[in-house]
Amino acid sequence: MGVLQYPPLDNFTGAMPRYELSLILKAMQRPETAATLRRTIETLIARGAVVRDLENLGDRLLPYKIDKHNERHSRGSYFLVDFYAAPSILTSFLDHLQRDVDVVRSTVLKKDDRVSSSNCCGPQQ
Amino acid sequence: MSSLRCFQRLKSVFCVQVNSGVRRISAAPSSVQQKESLVTMENPYKEAQKGCVLCSITVDYKNIQLLSQFISPHTGRIYGRHITGLCGRKQKEVSKAIKKAQAMGFMSVTHKHPQFMKDPNICGIKLLD
Repeated sequence: MGVLQYPPLDNFTGAMPRYELSLILKAMQRPETAATLRRTIETLIARGAVVRDLENLGDRLLPYKIDKHNERHSRGSYFLVDFYAAPSILTSFLDHLQRDVDVVRSTVLKKDDRVSSSNCCGPQQ
Repeated sequence: MSSLRCFQRLKSVFCVQVNSGVRRISAAPSSVQQKESLVTMENPYKEAQKGCVLCSITVDYKNIQLLSQFISPHTGRIYGRHITGLCGRKQKEVSKAIKKAQAMGFMSVTHKHPQFMKDPNICGIKLLD
């Protein structure tokens, strides 16, 4: 394995923007949660994405009851996947997530790197 | 001869020197010279610009504890600018982050998480408890 460049350069499509997937999974046993996560990330990699980070935000009570796949969920496990991908795979990937029975809610957001670029009304630091 | 001398004496009496009583305008005093060369500087009494509460803090949709400080504990409604005291940019960011968190299933819409009820009150609002 060679040295991975950040941001990864895809020879076919050019620069790949950085995305963040917030995943809420059904409250399940640990091996099943692991299997679901593995499935999701393997799907991502199969579509040519580069997964940078996987964070576990813990199991908590959902802020409101969510109806998904004929089931009413009140508890869930929160995960955060940081990845680089070509924008063209996103729609098919989101479609895949919608069909997954174990996923309660999934949202992909673009990661904005320019945080607090200019001075906001602020005192001189 | 004596009349001539008398006349000369009289002349000295009557010839009043015109300029004796007049104050001479001397050369410009030193104070006027100083006024012409004023030192220009910015106001030394200027107060430092005060920023809003979130000036140096990045607002993230994942940070629901921070976001919950700007919503009502009873109804979960987002407070307006006149209550939070935030500047335009930060108010918009907080508002957008709250809506994002609510849509993604991180934060509740109708109430405030009971864990965050005891947080200090940033917004200038007096609640009837």
